Amino acid sequence: MEENLAELERDSVSAIAAATSPDELEAIRVRVLGRKGGALAEISKGMGKLAPEDRARLGKLLNQAKAAIESALESRTAEFESAALTARLDAEWLDLTLPPAGVKPGALHPLTQIQQEIEDLFRSMGFAVLDGPEVEDEFHNFDALNIPPDHPARDMQDTFWLTGGWLLRTHTSPVQVRGMERYPLPLRMIAPGRVFRNESVDASHEHTFYQLEGMMIDRDVSVGNLIYFMQTLLTEVFHQPATVRLRPGFFPFVEPGFELDIRCLICGGSGCAVCKHSGWVELLPCGLVNPNVLRMSNIDPDKWNGFAFGLGLTRLVMMRYAINDIRLLQSGDLRFLNQFS
Amino acid sequence: MKFSMQWIQELVPGLDVPAAELEQLITVRTAESEGVERAGALLEGARVARVLSAEPVGKLTRALVDIGEGEPITVACGAPNCRAGMRTVWVPVGVKNVGGIESNGMLASAAELGLGREDEGIIEWSSDTIDFAPDSILEIDNKSLTHRPDLWGHLGMAREVAAITRENLKDPVDLALLPKGSDSFNVRVDDYVLCPRFSVVTFEDVRIAPSPLWLQYRLESLGLNPINNVVDITNFVMTELAQPMHAFDRDKLRGDRLIVRPAFEGEGLLALNGEEYVLSAADGVVADGERAVSLAGIIGGKGTSITEETTNIVFESANWNASQIRKTSARLKLRTDASMRFEKAQDPANTVRALARAIALMRVVCPEARIGGRLTDDYRALPEPQTIPLKLDVLDRKLGRIVPPDEVREILERLAFKVRDAGLHLFEVTVPTWRATKDIAEPDDLVEEVGRMIGYDTIPPEPPRVACTVPPDDPKRVWYREIRALAAARGYTEVYNYSFLSDEQFQRFALSPDDALRVLNPIASDQNLLRTSLIPGIFANLELNRKHFDAFRLFEIGREIHNLTPAMPREIPHLAAAVYAADGDGRSGLFELKLLLLAIAAEARVEPTAEVLPYEHPARTATIYIGDSVVGRLFEAHPSMIEGRAAILNLDLERTLDLRPQQQPFQPIPKFPSSAFDISVIAPLREYSAALETRIREFAGSLLERIEFLREYSGPQVSEGMRSMTYRITVGSPERTLSSDEINAVRDRIIEGVRGLGHETRT
Repeated sequence: MEENLAELERDSVSAIAAATSPDELEAIRVRVLGRKGGALAEISKGMGKLAPEDRARLGKLLNQAKAAIESALESRTAEFESAALTARLDAEWLDLTLPPAGVKPGALHPLTQIQQEIEDLFRSMGFAVLDGPEVEDEFHNFDALNIPPDHPARDMQDTFWLTGGWLLRTHTSPVQVRGMERYPLPLRMIAPGRVFRNESVDASHEHTFYQLEGMMIDRDVSVGNLIYFMQTLLTEVFHQPATVRLRPGFFPFVEPGFELDIRCLICGGSGCAVCKHSGWVELLPCGLVNPNVLRMSNIDPDKWNGFAFGLGLTRLVMMRYAINDIRLLQSGDLRFLNQFS
Repeated sequence: MKFSMQWIQELVPGLDVPAAELEQLITVRTAESEGVERAGALLEGARVARVLSAEPVGKLTRALVDIGEGEPITVACGAPNCRAGMRTVWVPVGVKNVGGIESNGMLASAAELGLGREDEGIIEWSSDTIDFAPDSILEIDNKSLTHRPDLWGHLGMAREVAAITRENLKDPVDLALLPKGSDSFNVRVDDYVLCPRFSVVTFEDVRIAPSPLWLQYRLESLGLNPINNVVDITNFVMTELAQPMHAFDRDKLRGDRLIVRPAFEGEGLLALNGEEYVLSAADGVVADGERAVSLAGIIGGKGTSITEETTNIVFESANWNASQIRKTSARLKLRTDASMRFEKAQDPANTVRALARAIALMRVVCPEARIGGRLTDDYRALPEPQTIPLKLDVLDRKLGRIVPPDEVREILERLAFKVRDAGLHLFEVTVPTWRATKDIAEPDDLVEEVGRMIGYDTIPPEPPRVACTVPPDDPKRVWYREIRALAAARGYTEVYNYSFLSDEQFQRFALSPDDALRVLNPIASDQNLLRTSLIPGIFANLELNRKHFDAFRLFEIGREIHNLTPAMPREIPHLAAAVYAADGDGRSGLFELKLLLLAIAAEARVEPTAEVLPYEHPARTATIYIGDSVVGRLFEAHPSMIEGRAAILNLDLERTLDLRPQQQPFQPIPKFPSSAFDISVIAPLREYSAALETRIREFAGSLLERIEFLREYSGPQVSEGMRSMTYRITVGSPERTLSSDEINAVRDRIIEGVRGLGHETRT
């Protein structure tokens, strides 16, 4: 009986080692360890006939044999599981360099992007963002900005005239007037939007373009304040320290009026084709709000004053992305627009 | 406006700054310079040359010339007047072979030298020396001179230059030259608003001839056409003093006086430019006893102009109302050197100064002419000198920098303001007449004078001290930004389209032109209406991009503009979005857009519509509602409009925002489990799902928590012409767990109800 047990253990362990699949292993388990009819169970059945001292000794041997077989089964099972997992992992090879299915994000128009940046910047400095109509009346587009009828300054802005006596606003400045009509003082506001000039279109001229008007009305606003705001604005917009200069410029709604130049970002001021070798690039008109404009809006110029500026968003976008044809912006051509996603 | 550097130097004798540097100074102190050109470049190195011999070689002449030093040199010349013995001008332009002649330099015409228009032959030179040098011409942007009537003449710019460089200015005008004595000519001004001042002197025994070269050189280098001595003098004075003048041939004037009056309605005038103008009572004219002889302040008449036969002349130097000149000039589309100046509001004091200058020039250019009688000078009232109080502390506060009072005074005085110190930091500043017409009227204007002359670069940037306030928010703008971000994240690219459409587009897209504003002066005939819809623009985008892409998405947020005259037009912001696919059945594009719509407005409903527009696919068009209001449309483009499949969403953002539901308080999470079961309804193919769902909701009653659409099916399992639509019905109660009897009761009600509609069900 002892021999039988030793032989069963030996045979079972070697069968387990030779098994080639989990199913085979299971068959061995049932054959050897099965509670009913398993070889070990059969042997233990015969133990009842033995002498008590033999029974105890043989029982111990039987348990040893069972533990050895179970251990062999367990480790062989683990081997199979590990091999199966390895095989699965290998089978699940995936090419992650493939592009994902589904739709790629679209792009916001570059003008929208730059406008949102500037809006955020000015909101952080306490400026409200206002909207105004694209179709205006003469009063808001001209008269209230100190440009009476027959003023030669009306020539500076070729106007689209509409039926009904309306016109397409030639600048975003009328929103200044509407802002002063609507909001209490002090007032800090910007107004981005679409403006129109009756000009033939070519690579550098458009009849439809985008401006961002800004205005601040408070007590004792100075030219120094204006320079500060413009320098801050342009430093943010171009992500590098901006140097600006003011020089005289005539716009009836400001006095003094300025053209603001920025030190050429391409050559740093040493002179290149972009700045026409002057070291400066003309960027925006600005100035202190003309007292007549304040009076037109029923504001006492002895108590209040302010600055105003008109930033050309179209020009800014063209400078930032080195766009050489203004017409691309309103072409609706996705080969162009998708570059800004 | 062009300025001659040499001319400025004559008026600012101490000036010692090169043109390139002066240009920069003018740009930062006065007005924008657009660059410096060279005039009379060939005068560099030019020499007086005597032609020793002239031998014809083909069409050319081989000339041996003596240029005053060295051996005589050989020059090829094509001019007909090249002959032995003549004196002309030789220019060193290098040695080259011209028509077989080894030619050293060239003999030049007046035009080539920049000394006039004459280009028929080489110049006949009478002097032993050449007293001309190349000039630098500063080009100043006219727009930056709009407010400065004085800068339309060299003297005005010279005054700026003198102030900038702290040099002295020389006034070329000597008023003592104005004649005294008996009236030389009668003038009657009928309208002093039109013509505040009309001044005249006359000359007799004038001999009309070409001007001397120095005068022609000045005009030529500034782009003015030299004509004859008298006309050239008027142009010279205009260019120097900014006062336009006109010369009449006195013998062609009928009657013995000039009348300034409004034109008669329909009155004609043949002008110097050869055009015939028909005038109206809104235009001013200068007339003689019978007819208009000049269009006031704009252009003279041809009939009374100076010709070679003229011997007696009348010089007009008048001041005209700026807006009147501008109106007439705009109406007749006639802009002249004179009208450009008058519409800037010229100084009435300047008329007689110009005449005095013209007299001085006549003495040099036409010494034989005699002045006739005294100055005729008609005006009613000249403006009083204007004095402006300037508070120095206000000046400092506006500039953001302290400027010492002495410096303020010096700057203003150099610009010809008179300054009186009234104490207590107050200056009383008297404005020179030529700045008082419309330029300088307020203390702020003086702030500009001081600011530009100290240099804005001397003002330190300084953050303002202001109240810390939160700016008011515009919910519309915030929302548009959200929509843009949503659309871009879902693959749509933003386009900007023009606001203009054509009549043809209005017709094609069934838009009513009566609803639109029309452009009176369109840039092109196909851009003459303002858009009342974004859709035509979107179709153009689709058409363009489908050439380059098989599938794409785009959107625009823009304004429809609807005419409500006499009220302000209504500008309604819209979202137009499109999904294009060259292939496929078009379903996915429409549902993609519906997803976008629901992301923007979850409460929106897409409902079938019977009213289909011509560019819409009639079986794939829906109206979008929020509550009972229509807010937009979702449709596929009609196949006749575009190849492939284009789904389009058009949404009124204004109304959608207005109808946005208030944020509701949250609903508690159910405490008791809910139960779900699926029901399939077999309904005719074109039965709308949304309608069916509404009915199921009614049948289900109050225990219904939600209905989800799971799938649709049509095919072998269901009869021809039918489809199966499967819904998952979830029921529950906030108070208890429902019993299976209660759940079955709901299901039975739904099945019974749906069968009542005539549809089979499967569970």
